[in-house]
Amino acid sequence: MASEKPYLAVTCTAPVNIAVIKYWGKRDEELILPINSSLSVTLHQDQLKTTTTAVISKDFTEDRIWLNGREEDIGQPRIQACLREIRRLARKRRSGDEEDPLPLSLNYKVHVASVNNFPTAAGLASSASGYACLAYALARVYGVESDLSEVARRGSGSACRSLYGGFVEWQMGEQADGKDSVARQVAPESHWPELRVLILVVSAEKKLTGSTVGMQTSVETSPLLRFRAEAVVPARMAEMIRYVKERNFQGFGELTMKDSNQFHATCLDTFPPISYLNDTSRRIIHLVHRFNAHHGQTKARFLKGLPVKPGRLSDELKAALGMDPTPGSIKYIIATQVGPGPQILDHPHAHLLGPDGLPKPTV
Amino acid sequence: MASEKPYLAVTCTAPVNIAVIKYWGKRDEELILPINSSLSVTLHQDQLKTTTTAVISKDFTEDRIWLNGREEDIGQPRIQACLREIRRLARKRRSGDEEDPLPLSLNYKVHVASVNNFPTAAGLASSASGYACLAYALARVYGVESDLSEVARRGSGSACRSLYGGFVEWQMGEQADGKDSVARQVAPESHWPELRVLILVVSAEKKLTGSTVGMQTSVETSPLLRFRAEAVVPARMAEMIRYVKERNFQGFGELTMKDSNQFHATCLDTFPPISYLNDTSRRIIHLVHRFNAHHGQTKVAYTFDAGPNAVIFTLDDTVAEFVAAVRHSFPPESNGDKFLKGLPVKPGRLSDELKAALGMDPTPGSIKYIIATQVGPGPQILDHPHAHLLGPDGLPKPTV
Repeated sequence: MASEKPYLAVTCTAPVNIAVIKYWGKRDEELILPINSSLSVTLHQDQLKTTTTAVISKDFTEDRIWLNGREEDIGQPRIQACLREIRRLARKRRSGDEEDPLPLSLNYKVHVASVNNFPTAAGLASSASGYACLAYALARVYGVESDLSEVARRGSGSACRSLYGGFVEWQMGEQADGKDSVARQVAPESHWPELRVLILVVSAEKKLTGSTVGMQTSVETSPLLRFRAEAVVPARMAEMIRYVKERNFQGFGELTMKDSNQFHATCLDTFPPISYLNDTSRRIIHLVHRFNAHHGQTKARFLKGLPVKPGRLSDELKAALGMDPTPGSIKYIIATQVGPGPQILDHPHAHLLGPDGLPKPTV
Repeated sequence: MASEKPYLAVTCTAPVNIAVIKYWGKRDEELILPINSSLSVTLHQDQLKTTTTAVISKDFTEDRIWLNGREEDIGQPRIQACLREIRRLARKRRSGDEEDPLPLSLNYKVHVASVNNFPTAAGLASSASGYACLAYALARVYGVESDLSEVARRGSGSACRSLYGGFVEWQMGEQADGKDSVARQVAPESHWPELRVLILVVSAEKKLTGSTVGMQTSVETSPLLRFRAEAVVPARMAEMIRYVKERNFQGFGELTMKDSNQFHATCLDTFPPISYLNDTSRRIIHLVHRFNAHHGQTKVAYTFDAGPNAVIFTLDDTVAEFVAAVRHSFPPESNGDKFLKGLPVKPGRLSDELKAALGMDPTPGSIKYIIATQVGPGPQILDHPHAHLLGPDGLPKPTV
């Protein structure tokens, strides 16, 4: 809760999430409202997380932000959108109570520092965890207790799904003002303890088309995308939620693969076409299908695992896979599992900013 | 025309065609009826063709067939379907005329030999030219003069489009018996003389999913394919026909690329997914978009069938520069002068601006060679006896 203290520091962490029913395409670029709902799995913060410290102080003269140790432009539109939205919510809360005058701290400038515990070069999307963490930290310093979906969403659409652990739905909403475009937890992280996630980090390639521009071009040029959003995703959302609730891996796995493929299909149907999958991606897809066929059921998917016991390939499986090895195509694997939503770190040494509001020197 | 001769030999040639509005998916597996119409460009036989000799003889005891010099199983269902259909049409024609008894030759067995002038290893689909040629040759020996769309189609769907030169439409039809699922010429080969076609033969890969199984799986599992067939293709067919008639390369090129991409999108939306495009295909796509962006207009267009080979459409004034761009980004390996086959291409130069605009790291050897060709005519009959692939004994002539 905000107060009249001249200085307040809050540090929290937020998770990465991976969509199993994909979000791709906005119906409103400014409010970041999607053309279809999406469903994600929140990954465990022991392996992947963003840590953010937000400090407000009467002595700060301007808002400032440091990302992974480097000062960035606070004027960046998405960051500004989050800040404006949090401050609007803070004033709204306060002004609802006639007795309490608005605390001075609402006018304090904020310093924010954020770090990821996973390398940016790995190509793992950090905007979801980053903006969820930013929203969460700003809410704590400015005393906002309402739903943060909108704040996170204004930073990066999928960030609203990182506000919860476990299995999370981002309901697309219908209102033009986006008030009903919110995230909600479908099942907690404890719901499916046997589920594992493996991230296969593929060797870095040339710069790919960014999501924001990519999905905009897709909405503008792909006939298949519109059909997907209107006629395919709604039923898939219901189906996926059912598989999650029932812990039905066959159903969950097959539908996850189908939706990933369909998302990439709409990227290919874009003009100019977007190809996020490369030959290594296709080989991994091939490996998974052969692995599953060998076992006679859907057992594996793109993502899986944690500390992994040494495994053995039976000779039959080696024969069934039948692929020429391609050394070095996969750089490394991150094994993780389903995890919780954002956490607050209470201990003062967790803060990334010192009492002067500047980044602490890294040890 | 068939006759009572104890022996009759006919040799013809038929072209390859490349679809610019793609056919992918059947509504009837037996009659080979498609879920949407398609439009193609017939390529010139000087560069790509199938040559087929059909011989009927009173002395033959069974039907036989040789493909590229090797005897194949005549019982193969598609070949049988063509034979049955031709014989049915032959009998129908005859039985319409009460005066004329059915000629004995309708009961003669047939020997067929077929060769392509392009390597099978190039991954260029030869089933269209092959079955069109078979249909055409069989029609000549058995005296069938009606529309051959159905005969060719029963062999391989896209073969009906190889029955005509120039620009050809395969109308999907509506009838359940497929009688209205026919090919027709939209514009002749002389219509657009500046149009050129470059086939970029990409290095061979592991066996890919065959078209017949692939499109069946797509129809069964891809929601996007159904939508494409019902809601997207009909308007695209009308649009493409208009661009062809108007010789509008901008429109023709852009729509060709979009339809190729959408076809491959539906393959990716199939379960298990089908990926015919590989990294080289994607680099070629990238090259084309960069080349066009540099020129500020659509000067080059790509299309890909069920394989990584790229078919490039452009106008004759752009060929030299684009080939230079391909050489620069995909340097040929040692066989430098065999890199370009087919129509002669003037040496082209890449400006420094274009090199910079392309901005791609060269990948040597990714493209094996290029075949340069143009729009061409439909099937031809070869009159000279030495063109026959089978001797008087009905067996393949020894190759010189």
